[in-house]
Amino acid sequence: MKTITPDRLDQFFSSLEPVWELRLPILLPDGTRVIGSLNDGPLALHGGAVSGKPTAAFFPQQSTLFTVTDGAMQEPPPADRPLFIVGFPPRDLACLRFIDRFFADGWRDDLYFRLRQRATVAGLSGYCGPGGSLISPAGGDCDLEFFWDRSNWLVTAYSETGRKIIAGLPETATPEAAELFLQVPAEFPDKNETLIRHASELLRTNRVPESFWAEIGDRCIACTGCNLACPTCTCFGVQDWRSAKKTERSRMWDSCQLDGFMREAGGHNPLGSEAERTRRRIHHKLAADPQKWGEISCFLCGRCDAVCPTGIGIIAVARELVARFR
Amino acid sequence: MTRTLTVCPYCGVGCTFYLVSDKGRLVGVEPSTTHPVSRGGLCVKGWNAYAFVHHPDRLTTPLIRRDGQLRPASWDEALNLVVERLQAVQAKHGKDAVMFASSAKATNEENYLLMKLARAVFGTNNIDHCARLCHSSTVTGLAETFGSGAMTNSISCFDQTDVILVIGSNTTEQHPLIGSRILNAVRGGTRLIVADNRRIRLARHAELHLRHKNGSDVALLNGIMHVIIAEGLADREFIAGRTENYDALAESVADWTPERTAAATGLTADEIVAAARLYAGAERAMVVFSMGITQHSHGVDNVRCIAALAMLTGNVGRPGTGVNPLRGQNNVQGGCDMGALPDLYSGYQKVADPRLRDKFAHAWGVSSLPAEPGLPLTRAMDAASEGRLHGMFIMGENPMLSDPDQGHARKVLENLELLIVQDIFLTETAAVADIVLPAACFAEKEGTFTNTERRIQRLYKAVEPPGKARADWEIICDIAERAGYNGMRYTSPAEIMAEAASLTPIYGGIAYQRLAAHGLQWPCPDKEHPGTPIMHLDRFTRGLGHFSPVVHRLPAELPDAEFPFVLTTGRTYFHWHTGSMTRRTHLLAREEPHSFIELHPDDAARLGIRHRDMVLVSSRRGEVRTEARVTDMVIAGVLFMPFHFVEGAANALTNNVLDPESSIPEFKVCAVRVEKMP
Repeated sequence: MKTITPDRLDQFFSSLEPVWELRLPILLPDGTRVIGSLNDGPLALHGGAVSGKPTAAFFPQQSTLFTVTDGAMQEPPPADRPLFIVGFPPRDLACLRFIDRFFADGWRDDLYFRLRQRATVAGLSGYCGPGGSLISPAGGDCDLEFFWDRSNWLVTAYSETGRKIIAGLPETATPEAAELFLQVPAEFPDKNETLIRHASELLRTNRVPESFWAEIGDRCIACTGCNLACPTCTCFGVQDWRSAKKTERSRMWDSCQLDGFMREAGGHNPLGSEAERTRRRIHHKLAADPQKWGEISCFLCGRCDAVCPTGIGIIAVARELVARFR
Repeated sequence: MTRTLTVCPYCGVGCTFYLVSDKGRLVGVEPSTTHPVSRGGLCVKGWNAYAFVHHPDRLTTPLIRRDGQLRPASWDEALNLVVERLQAVQAKHGKDAVMFASSAKATNEENYLLMKLARAVFGTNNIDHCARLCHSSTVTGLAETFGSGAMTNSISCFDQTDVILVIGSNTTEQHPLIGSRILNAVRGGTRLIVADNRRIRLARHAELHLRHKNGSDVALLNGIMHVIIAEGLADREFIAGRTENYDALAESVADWTPERTAAATGLTADEIVAAARLYAGAERAMVVFSMGITQHSHGVDNVRCIAALAMLTGNVGRPGTGVNPLRGQNNVQGGCDMGALPDLYSGYQKVADPRLRDKFAHAWGVSSLPAEPGLPLTRAMDAASEGRLHGMFIMGENPMLSDPDQGHARKVLENLELLIVQDIFLTETAAVADIVLPAACFAEKEGTFTNTERRIQRLYKAVEPPGKARADWEIICDIAERAGYNGMRYTSPAEIMAEAASLTPIYGGIAYQRLAAHGLQWPCPDKEHPGTPIMHLDRFTRGLGHFSPVVHRLPAELPDAEFPFVLTTGRTYFHWHTGSMTRRTHLLAREEPHSFIELHPDDAARLGIRHRDMVLVSSRRGEVRTEARVTDMVIAGVLFMPFHFVEGAANALTNNVLDPESSIPEFKVCAVRVEKMP
């Protein structure tokens, strides 16, 4: 296990820039924390999960699929340098693992893997959660992991690339520090975990009446933020922009909370009411995905609850649902 | 990957977000988690605000009409021609033969400059903008009663109130992040009254939903005030200490018994009494209103009643209270503040006042400024058809679709001697222009917008404008220079704001370095002033609040045998005005792809019209084909239609009858007929 002192972090990351395109947790001018470039704000590793889905690095809100100019098709050029992304707490790593499976299944999503395959991902854990709270280490699911022990960053590599990146760092000063990393339970039990499993169980056993979804749907303003902030939401729409000489096809994040998402050309819509769309949003994560993928696809990152203007993110809905129908 | 903080270009709530760009192209948005208004959230338009910016339809070069066709030209050619032709029209027909239409989509600095260009360079007060079509009734009505036409309180007040009366505002659709606060407040125990005959989302959460007849707001509000006075619920102390002319108001509502009000509004007497008791019984109550109040031939009267209701119950000048007009456009508050109005300089300083004319003339380095108030935008079309107006310079507006009585507007715009349009897309209006100037959009320039709660906020440049497009402020300065005026040389929008602030007392303390991430709320008279979240704290801007009694007048055009339905018009959640941006945003356009009209199931059954049938809707002005949406959103006898769509344009039907004081058109009531297409 390696170690790095906080004062050497900037220098360490800068030294990687010739090879990697760096994306790190940064603090933007108004205090918003995101994964971004150091040109946009200072490094901000503390504070837990950043706002905005970290998986956007591989699946941006909008991306060009190809352009056709005078009959010749061109794909976007590959990036100059592969991505090196720091800032995935274990829950975000779980999200990434989930969408890696999703995008690889059946036809493989070339656009996603063009960015994902070359990328190096670093986890973030230790006493760097909100207010200095503990984030348990992931212990894998990434190339390397940074663990804040309240004085230094302990760094462990899980892949060959990870080992190469941290090769030049000194070994951990004290065995106690390394011990601390290992001692922290790998599981992260929390009450939301229990809650979401309970909600999933209620849905799968069909114990939630339609009237509940009508009530929640009444509070949905169709902002689509829940989907756009969710690291495991993968739906996208496709558009063509045509001008005299060029056609550009791109894709953008879509949302199952929109009427147009499922509306058929003739106008019929199997998800034609807010109640049905809201039901689908929660069902998909808590009932359909466990059936298809063997796991609930909400990893409790809290982003949909944070962006929802009316308080009906998945954790809030699960809480109401469990309180009323358990 | 770069992130640039900016302000949403859609409604007046003023959410901020980061534009995410990659190699000079926008690829998304990310909400600000610290902003006091948006608090980490956005509405669907905000989440998609990046998506139209690089659309291939963007204007990239100046265009000049030659041989009937708009053809590309250089900036030199276009701007020299702009000046030459504006001057020629003025030489031939007089200074006031031209009109400048400013834009609530443009920045404060650009609105200030266009008003300066009209007045100082072209010597006319013919400058106005689309506030004329939305809240001119508010500005007039609240200036008379309170002394200031803006929202009295702050958006944060929705978290601190006991009762909210929403009248004529579909808040969750048109001001979604304020509508959300109302929904949250209701869940926290705040009681809600919705007065609007459409079954809007808020109505589903309201304790009282008053579905009163279109255009009967004065009767409803007078009736409510009658009950408040009759039941001793008025705030006598507030009335005595803070207001004047109460006796005249009391007398004017004395006859508005619940029974009479019920007859005039279509409500029951019990509903009116319940609304009065609920609103007046609250320790803190807010009124929220929007176009449902203002866009009537008696819009100013509606606003006077709302102001009176708030004063009658002492609901002004405290947190969680107030009269809260929600401004529609991202910068319609700023457009007004910056004096893009025919009778006012920036800061609501009257052009009729010789002292103020001298102040502005001196600052702008001109010998004199015109004294007569200019034309309101809504009178421009008539002035042109009567031969009093021959040229228009339109910045970022699309009157061909947004003005009432489209047939008339089209005829006038096509027949103008000179039409210049500065915009980001070739709108329906730009398509008939003589000269088209390509402008930068919100993501491509710097400046400030002022939101509905008077918060002045900065936008920052994220990407370069397409082709030869330039920021509106740069184009205006260039025109001034070519017209021989050297008083518009600025190196940045910050300098323009410094000048505007020096001449505008309510913006006196505004400077870019003070605005940081969350801006400042005016009035902010000096550099140390912290801004004003709540107005009229100890005294009204005019001193005492003035009760203005109002006589109920009916809308100008009511249904009859030939045109038996009331048509009311508005917007949908997914589109913005004439759709130039949202119809070019994939997800928004997919959501509402075409024109429609809402029709009550009983009416539909009687007329043999089914959901999604094509129907023909006709009024005395015109007819349109559109798709029927059979829904209980509307009451029987009333139809609703959005005005976004060029095919099936609601404004082909609307009535260009104006409020006599504010010149706002009666978009909310006209008489139509609807029939199934064969």
